[in-house]
Amino acid sequence: MSNRTLPRLLQTPAVIMLLIWMLIPLSLTLYFSFIRYVLNNLRRPEWTTPSFSNWRGFGNYEFVLNSKDFLFAIQNSLLIVGSILFLTVILGVLIAVMINKAFPGQGIVRVLLISPFFVMPAVNAVLWVNMILDPVLGLQGLAVAGINDLIGSLQSAPGVGWFFSLWPEVKPISFRATQTSAYAVIIMVTWQWTPFAVLIFMTSLQSEDQQQKEAAVLDGAGTFSQFRFLTLPHLGRPIAIVVMIQAIFHLSLYAEIEIVSRGNGNKNLPYLIGEFANNNIGAASATGIFAVILANIVAIFLLRMIGKTLME
Amino acid sequence: MGRIVLENVTKSFGDAQVIPPLDLTIEDGEFAVFVGPSGCGKSTLLRLIAGLEETTSGRIVIDDNDATQVPPSKRGLAMVFQSYALYPHMSVRKNIAFPLRMAKMDQAAIDTKVEAAAKILNLADYLEQKPGQLSGGQRQRVAIGRAIVREPAAFLFDEPLSNLDAALRVGMRLEISELHNRLNTTMIYVTHDQVEAMTMADKIVVLRAGNIEQVGSPLDLYHTPRNIFVAGFIGSPKMNIIDGPEAEKQGATSIGFRPEHTDVSTTEGMWKGRVGVAEHLGSDTFIHVHDTGLADMITVRITGDIAVTHGDDIYLTPQMDKLHKFDADGLRMA
Amino acid sequence: MAIVATTTKFSVYGRPVLAWIVGLLFFFPIFWLVLTSFKTDADAVKPEFLLFFTPTLDNYLNMTENYDYWRFATNSIITSVFATIFALAVGIPSAYAMAFNPSRATKDVLMWMLSTKMLPAAAVLYPMTFITKSIGLFDTHFMVIVVLMLINLPIVIWMLFTYFKEIPKDIIEAGQMDGVNTWGEVKEILIPLAWGGIASTALLCFIFCWNEAYWTVRLTTTEAATLSKLIEGNRAPEGLFFGRLSAVSAAAVGPIVVLGWFCQKQLVQGLTFGAVK
Repeated sequence: MSNRTLPRLLQTPAVIMLLIWMLIPLSLTLYFSFIRYVLNNLRRPEWTTPSFSNWRGFGNYEFVLNSKDFLFAIQNSLLIVGSILFLTVILGVLIAVMINKAFPGQGIVRVLLISPFFVMPAVNAVLWVNMILDPVLGLQGLAVAGINDLIGSLQSAPGVGWFFSLWPEVKPISFRATQTSAYAVIIMVTWQWTPFAVLIFMTSLQSEDQQQKEAAVLDGAGTFSQFRFLTLPHLGRPIAIVVMIQAIFHLSLYAEIEIVSRGNGNKNLPYLIGEFANNNIGAASATGIFAVILANIVAIFLLRMIGKTLME
Repeated sequence: MGRIVLENVTKSFGDAQVIPPLDLTIEDGEFAVFVGPSGCGKSTLLRLIAGLEETTSGRIVIDDNDATQVPPSKRGLAMVFQSYALYPHMSVRKNIAFPLRMAKMDQAAIDTKVEAAAKILNLADYLEQKPGQLSGGQRQRVAIGRAIVREPAAFLFDEPLSNLDAALRVGMRLEISELHNRLNTTMIYVTHDQVEAMTMADKIVVLRAGNIEQVGSPLDLYHTPRNIFVAGFIGSPKMNIIDGPEAEKQGATSIGFRPEHTDVSTTEGMWKGRVGVAEHLGSDTFIHVHDTGLADMITVRITGDIAVTHGDDIYLTPQMDKLHKFDADGLRMA
Repeated sequence: MAIVATTTKFSVYGRPVLAWIVGLLFFFPIFWLVLTSFKTDADAVKPEFLLFFTPTLDNYLNMTENYDYWRFATNSIITSVFATIFALAVGIPSAYAMAFNPSRATKDVLMWMLSTKMLPAAAVLYPMTFITKSIGLFDTHFMVIVVLMLINLPIVIWMLFTYFKEIPKDIIEAGQMDGVNTWGEVKEILIPLAWGGIASTALLCFIFCWNEAYWTVRLTTTEAATLSKLIEGNRAPEGLFFGRLSAVSAAAVGPIVVLGWFCQKQLVQGLTFGAVK
């Protein structure tokens, strides 16, 4: 007999490890989400150790749902993730179609384009928020100052000076401020993940049926019609995959938000969990369960799609 | 030695039984060919013998030892795969030496055996090359070489020629037959090509849906097919099978006659028809005859040439002594 | 347009130029980071030295003094290398089992492994802190290695699985006929044949470990802190240290970006789990 028991058993270490990795912390989160559990409370010291006697039922969930930060974090998560998805897909498709056909230096352009993807998130955030977007010292600040200087010198010019003195002074945008920090995160993550979208769309474009395109040309389809009726449908599936994979990654954005504004005016769910976890573990855990549910909604669709191609 | 006996062997994949209970004996030194249409279970049967599939029930006995639970490498069999299955990262020498190295044979003995096998198979000049650099026929030889050096009790061939082009296939067919004559070792050969079966086999096993339809020598099968399926499968072009009144006249449900056992005339005969396509091969002529009222098309084969073209009338007369009669179950009538 | 001779001026000159502009634009922030790293802290914020300045290596030479760079870099190397090795050590047998000896549950097991990757890390933040602290592994290399290995294990197994599936089953069976045991199958046939795939899987796993910025930040303080933690801790220099911060950042990402260039194709496979070909 071809004894395949041993070879089959070889997958068990990985399975057991991942099972432990998933189950133990997650059940603890579930447990903590149903009890009163805080790290510091002088009046009720019994709440500082996890125990079933501190059972709170859905109290933590109610507390989280009623906190204004939660709604804000959800909204903000959706704003950030949605904007990034929109921008990366549009840019990704355009760039992929543009560089898909051979031109001088195509290889170098590819390398230039893909590079941002490998920059570690912490450096990405530090680089953008300081060196580029800083309203005074970053490139933005320098550019704004330069424009203002130019206008200033034009204002004192003879003859046309009166015209330029009607111009307002240009104001730089502070991306660390409450209202704008989310935009900084959107910009830097879009910069980092557009290359990913480009790479996947390019891979997919290479498998596009060239004979089908030739047939379309003979049928009188122009460049735009080819793109609209052949290329775009061909990219449908990769687009769906890019959207879902990114959604899963970006729902748990953390380092960028921490670095840009320390969550000031710009919390998402992971950040909110981190904040709760400084003291109120019960609330942090309940928020965690919400995050799991949110991620699962996306994950189910993604897994289905992958599952279809898996055993082909 | 290499006598292989299957006793009541079955194989199921999940709920689907692909091999119903089956008995078969392959004698030592015999060249047995499993033949049948694709999906008939012939490859599965070979893989059961090899040990690459677990037997669901029954016994596989190799040289009087029950091998049903023995792992593939311990059964003393060697297999040549359809895809050759050479190790692409090893040179030809290392490919051929691999089973010996796995058997922990000492290096000097390995070298001797590999050189000898390479000589038999005309591979001596290619020993240091990688499989990727070889032609299809050479790869095939390396695969055979890897089997030979093990000095197996039996060779198992799984459609070994189907990836070769037509000309090469004829050459390799001869080489394998010669190899069998020289080594006198049991060989089991799986193919869907009845020509390969007819030309190479001592014993043909015709399979359909996991069932053995008939076992016999090539000429047995040709002259006395046990049922309509075997009759239609063995022989090229296929035997003509007709039902209805003409068959009843012979006291049978169906009658069959081979294209080469049919007399043809342009003036008179038993059945009248119209020539569809006439294929002139020079040595033979195949004529496809329509409108006989017997079947959609009757094929006849005559030696040499006959002057007929599309649309001509033609008369056919089967040679009565070579007529095959089948009953309502499709079985041969005595 | 390569199909018929509808060559327009745009496709000959316009598109390549546009493509180059886009490429350079995307690369610009990295270029700027590297450029700034050669300026002194004072020059880095002065508009007159925007492009033309006297380059200095001081920022790199003083990395150890300014940031204790090598301690963090060593931690990054140790944790990423060992996490990658362990992920392969667990992943290769597992992917082998699933690729060549699949059972009916194999597909579900693979999908389930993927789903663990989709669990938001933040949801288990406190339990992980709690567990690591109570077993005394908080801020240790060991813990970081284990966590990095586990979060990358699904991707490693998936990538290896897709590579292994490309090896014809016949070759493995030929090996069985030739008398290799399970270990021999892996050592003599699988690893030599899938060597390229294994190497790129390792490379990608290493990159992901190196760039990881949630657990490495939250589960360490000083002892096992990696470069992510270092940069995160010096996030807002308020313009004082742009030069030196750029240097340490460039040193943290430079090697990885270069490594990344070598595994673009594998990246697609690794991140889309073989769903885009």
